[in-house]
Amino acid sequence: MAITFRKVNFIYSEGTPFSYHALKDIDLNITLGKVTAIIGATGSGKSTMVQHLNALLVPTEGEVEVGDHTIKAKAKNKNLKDLRKHVGLVFQFPEYQLFEETILKDVAFGPKNFGCTEEEANQRAKDALKVVGIPDDYYDRSPLDLSGGQKRRVAIAGILAMRPEVLVLDEPTAGLDPAGTKSMMQLFLDYNRKAGNTVILVTHNMDQVLKYCDEVVAVKDGRIAAHTDVKSFFRDPSIMEGTNMNPPFIIRFEELLKEKGFALKDTYGDPDSLAKAISKEMKR
Amino acid sequence: MNTAVVLGRYIPLDSPVHRMDPRAKIAAMFAFLISLFIDVGFIGYAILGVIVFAGVLAAKLKPSYIWRAFKPMMIMMVFLMILNFYAIRTGYVMFSIFGWNIYSDAVFQTLYIVLRLLLMINATTLVTATTKPMDMTIAIEDLLSPLKAVGFPAHDVAMMISIALRFIPTLLEESQRIMKAQASRGVDLEEGKFMEKIMAILSLIVPLFVSSYQKADDLANAMEARGYDPDAKRVRYRRLKMRLSDWMLVIGMNLVLAGIIVLKVVL
Ligand SMILES: Nc1ncnc2c1ncn2[C@@H]1O[C@H](COP(=O)(O)OP(=O)(O)OP(=O)(O)O)[C@@H](O)[C@H]1O
Ligand SMILES: [Mg+2]
Repeated sequence: MAITFRKVNFIYSEGTPFSYHALKDIDLNITLGKVTAIIGATGSGKSTMVQHLNALLVPTEGEVEVGDHTIKAKAKNKNLKDLRKHVGLVFQFPEYQLFEETILKDVAFGPKNFGCTEEEANQRAKDALKVVGIPDDYYDRSPLDLSGGQKRRVAIAGILAMRPEVLVLDEPTAGLDPAGTKSMMQLFLDYNRKAGNTVILVTHNMDQVLKYCDEVVAVKDGRIAAHTDVKSFFRDPSIMEGTNMNPPFIIRFEELLKEKGFALKDTYGDPDSLAKAISKEMKR
Repeated sequence: MNTAVVLGRYIPLDSPVHRMDPRAKIAAMFAFLISLFIDVGFIGYAILGVIVFAGVLAAKLKPSYIWRAFKPMMIMMVFLMILNFYAIRTGYVMFSIFGWNIYSDAVFQTLYIVLRLLLMINATTLVTATTKPMDMTIAIEDLLSPLKAVGFPAHDVAMMISIALRFIPTLLEESQRIMKAQASRGVDLEEGKFMEKIMAILSLIVPLFVSSYQKADDLANAMEARGYDPDAKRVRYRRLKMRLSDWMLVIGMNLVLAGIIVLKVVL
């Protein structure tokens, strides 16, 4: 399985006065088994791009290859359901997609659609709810009575229960409290590290990129501005420029130290190793 | 998935039609629609067709755009045609398909109705595409205001209409979003057994209702927070002004209506 974009262009409402060229000549190869961050300013085309991964949007030009599936422009694409079974997409603000009478049923909805038996789907739903931290006395409650953050967890569980090999998340932690954000991010990391799945994460939070991701794709005005591993991304400040983003706090701190004459050899990015490097430098 | 619904959407262009007074446009549209329902045969439709065509040209709307507004009506028209071909057995036999005789009256009747529908959609699309929803509200309120004398809540009705118009695209977008989210969870609206289809439809409708109610609530709160009071006396930021061209449109269209009535009486 591989994920490749070839010369992908996407135009919203083509042929009307509202048409908008959202993606321009995207060539991209997403490494499997890693956590890839997609960053970029508001309106740069991140959500548009990730919706190509499970063929919710079909390129206006070019093609997207995901595993055995190739989604081509201007072609009748078949077997989308099978593709969607392997690529789970969690939308921006997914809490608005809940509809079942009970939380358990809602989470089991996806697996059932993809051919699981009732029992298996329920089992998967329970597992997924446990992972996102919804206690079992909630199972029979209506998903519509939950708080916003809880709804978000249930919605994410609904995708996790499908057990996709590629998990795509569009700003999953926007609007969550810091503790909730942390546990969510840990959950996605585990989904990658423990089970070897691919995770693709749209985010505005550079600290998350630094802490949880392996690779970065920076999008600017519908084009790929950069695609590298996280460390070299933050080592090269020129990449960040023009993406309307600020580097994480600790990276800025390192930059300032270097500016003031500290001989730091590397970009560390975590407090521990940075502290060690500083104390070594101080002793010298 | 790019099935943006055209009906009722404002198209921001700069044209003489866009600049016209919305009241004039609405008044002219009514005169047009009344003319349309006075049956004077194909001459009447030809006259009205020319008028609406000129309007579309002047508004700089692409014909393809108008065409898209028709598309949803196609099924209805085909259905109508079959019904007419089946039911009407007067006139002479024009032709026959698979041994089925099609009578001339059936053909003409169908043509009448189809033309009438096309002109109707064309005219209303022309008005909604060239008038901002906000202007539309003001115009409706103005046109209804004589009824205030008998206690008719013109302002409330106008506000309701404008909110409804305003939310058509929002709800369409919302439904597309929910459709995509559920498609990611394996909902397939095209295939599947009957029960699965019911589930698929439920999975769209429930979230749509929930979010609509929420939006309605939010909007009500936002309006209240900004001091909206339906009974208060209001002044307007934007004033409408009828210019010469606006009067000409209204008078011209009413002359056409009068002409068609005369034709009807003479014929
Ligand atoms: N349905 C649509 N019709 C027309 N244009 C659209 C549509 N959806 C998005 N766009 C436009 O496409 C561009 C990219 O949108 P997209 O949602 O991909 O941005 P994004 O990078 O995800 O932004 P954000 O960080 O705010 O989520 C935006 O300029 C937006 O206005
Ligand atoms: Mg987005």
